[in-house]
Amino acid sequence: MSELKETLKAQIINQLSLEDLTPAAIADDMPLFSEEGLGLDSIDALEFIVLLESNYALKIADPSQGREIFHSVNTLADFIEKNR
Amino acid sequence: MKVLASCFLSPFAAVLNGTVKFQFQDDNWLKECYHKLMLDYPKFYKMDDLSKMAILSVELLKENAYLNNFNKDELELIFANSNASQHTDVKFIDSYTNIGNPSPSLFVYTLPNILTGELAIKHKWYGENTFLIASKFDTQLFENKLKHAQMKGAKHCLCGWVDSKVEKNGTLTQESFLFLVALNEENSTISEELEALFKKYKYLSTEKV
Repeated sequence: MSELKETLKAQIINQLSLEDLTPAAIADDMPLFSEEGLGLDSIDALEFIVLLESNYALKIADPSQGREIFHSVNTLADFIEKNR
Repeated sequence: MKVLASCFLSPFAAVLNGTVKFQFQDDNWLKECYHKLMLDYPKFYKMDDLSKMAILSVELLKENAYLNNFNKDELELIFANSNASQHTDVKFIDSYTNIGNPSPSLFVYTLPNILTGELAIKHKWYGENTFLIASKFDTQLFENKLKHAQMKGAKHCLCGWVDSKVEKNGTLTQESFLFLVALNEENSTISEELEALFKKYKYLSTEKV
């Protein structure tokens, strides 16, 4: 699981062009879409959908789940582990 | 009309009011410029090259202080280029033909006028904005738009020619020329001054020192 989280952090940085960030700067429980966290926006959420589809062959069936799944690296990793 | 301040960016150098501020060594000259200007704006990295050039050009111009003195809706933006969003269009096409997934973050930049939106967001400039496409840098086009803005009561316009083109062989041609114009001066024409500035800056920004 921890390996998946580290992979996810690297993929997030790459997919979202967060060039000044390192994986170590993203805590597992850091809120991804809050100003107190990474401060990502709605376009980034679409990039997450692409990331899940292209890297893990996963689709989010119910869009309303997105807020919960994309909350943090922990929740993303949980979703991937349970569904792949 | 009077040009209060002007700047030019190319992959070789940054010119502010007739003086070369710095030259670029890195292939990623936009990132090099970002660091030289000591910007702290993470969203920069997500932008297309047109928006990056516009953001950097404004930061350069702000060293001149004029740009720091406007209220939210006082400044009108008039921008133009000749290749629209061709550079990002090519990247977006590549994202779904070769990479396999259309990129949402590339898609949002497949319009050139997004750069005026990025400037408005960063600097909270809520005046009118226009983005025009012309075959080449056209001083008369800018002058006509400036006269129109003056007729509507605008006092200051930030104008820019921001262009990025990827050639068939993959090489990039990029330039950004910004000029701040006061509309309450007596001169009714600035075409010749703009033409002279553009040529001079283009020469300065490509000359090896």
